[in-house]
Amino acid sequence: MSSTEQGTSSAAPAEPTTAPESAAAPEVPESFYYVHGKDKVVHKVSAGALQHSALIHGMISNLGYTEEQAKANPFPFENIDGDILQMVVDWCNQHKGKPTPPEDTNLPKQKEKLFDLVLAVNYLEIKELLTYCCKQVAMMVKGKSPEEIREIWMIPTDAEDEAAEKEAKKRAGKEAAGETAAAAGDAK
Amino acid sequence: MPFPILRTPFVVLSEIISLLEPNEIVTASFCSKNIRCLLKRHYQRGKPLEWRLLMINHDSWGRVSIETSKNGEQITVMSAKHISELQGHELKQNNEKCPVIYFEDLRLGTAMIVDYVTGLFRLDVFAVVMDSNGIWAIDWVNNRQEKMLGGVQLIKSLKYNSNADETLDYVLRNARFSLYFNLDYNVSDNFKFDGKLGPMKQLWIRSNGHWVTCDNLMNFDGLAIRIQGSKLSISDFNAFLRHWRAGASARLEYLYVSFEQETFIESDGHETVFTGGYSIQRTDGVEAMIQCSPRWFLMGVWH
Repeated sequence: MSSTEQGTSSAAPAEPTTAPESAAAPEVPESFYYVHGKDKVVHKVSAGALQHSALIHGMISNLGYTEEQAKANPFPFENIDGDILQMVVDWCNQHKGKPTPPEDTNLPKQKEKLFDLVLAVNYLEIKELLTYCCKQVAMMVKGKSPEEIREIWMIPTDAEDEAAEKEAKKRAGKEAAGETAAAAGDAK
Repeated sequence: MPFPILRTPFVVLSEIISLLEPNEIVTASFCSKNIRCLLKRHYQRGKPLEWRLLMINHDSWGRVSIETSKNGEQITVMSAKHISELQGHELKQNNEKCPVIYFEDLRLGTAMIVDYVTGLFRLDVFAVVMDSNGIWAIDWVNNRQEKMLGGVQLIKSLKYNSNADETLDYVLRNARFSLYFNLDYNVSDNFKFDGKLGPMKQLWIRSNGHWVTCDNLMNFDGLAIRIQGSKLSISDFNAFLRHWRAGASARLEYLYVSFEQETFIESDGHETVFTGGYSIQRTDGVEAMIQCSPRWFLMGVWH
């Protein structure tokens, strides 16, 4: 499992407390990397677990960090909430070195976090987890009517879309008029 | 907990759409014009090539179904029913797994739902399944798409039985299809067909194949032919085999013929039921049924 620490900065993370998970196969020492989200909490994750993320895997390959350098420079993901990053790290650890089963019971269940999780997973390019999350989203509308789907997926009605479009046009018109007036003022 | 799907990145949205069943996509398309355009654009970029769209028009119920895999499982994605089926009741939701639209004119309604679904998925109609009241669909589909139908299926109706012979004759002469023709339909004992059928991959007459003559069999151009309820005689088969040995019906790979059930009453009053067999005739006109297999032979003479 990952370790987390509160309140450390991204530049100088404190020593993670939890021992690595590789007790079962200690022959080749596993390398670890460090990531943090918006809350600056640093997560220690093995290279094997991070293989799931095409983005991080690419970063590791490009940077060629030693373990010491990696510890000193955690990968910053300022656009991902700390609890979401924790979920992602947990999932990567649980699926280290194994393929994801079609029905994965170890996956995050918090529906209220699903949107943020989807964005994070998409950003981190974790294909299997993204597919699972998208399955959850697709399952939400099984057997539902158009009205219910509209509510579940927060789809505006045609009237709302039209009103928003009018508003956007109005705003664009005002901005254009403002720019013309400003340009005329400059010319004078 | 709501999920603001329209705020997700393009890749995510595409992934979600690709995980939906076709009936869910059609239902979602009714949420707004915006969603409908988005779904149409999704299928413009990549047609679901393995999907087959079926137009079903049977017992006053128009349907569009989609086969998403080769195992033949069909999912109804949209239905058209006659307005009278509401019987003055308020429209109940959620009883159906797909949108149902009620029309005064069911033919128009069926055409409309087919237009809607083909437009949404950018698919042609692959097959038409109909009863005698739905044969208009053959010309309608042929006029609306360049691609030839893959299959045609004519099935008996619980409601419409008039003009059965004319209907089958019309369908046999006018249906254009490339893969299969399935028939499960009642016609009179006098029905005859003197035209050609095919080329096709499969012809399956599931019942009432009594009208198929030796000439018909020779003129069916198919790879696999299955006829049930046949009245072909042993001399018909001899003629057909001579025709085949001479190099005709060259594309034929599989032929299965099963016969109508016949009941013989023996002299002691005992009944013997022949489920299939060859019919032969003696020079004096007496007819008999023969059944044989590698291990036994059975003959029943009509008296």
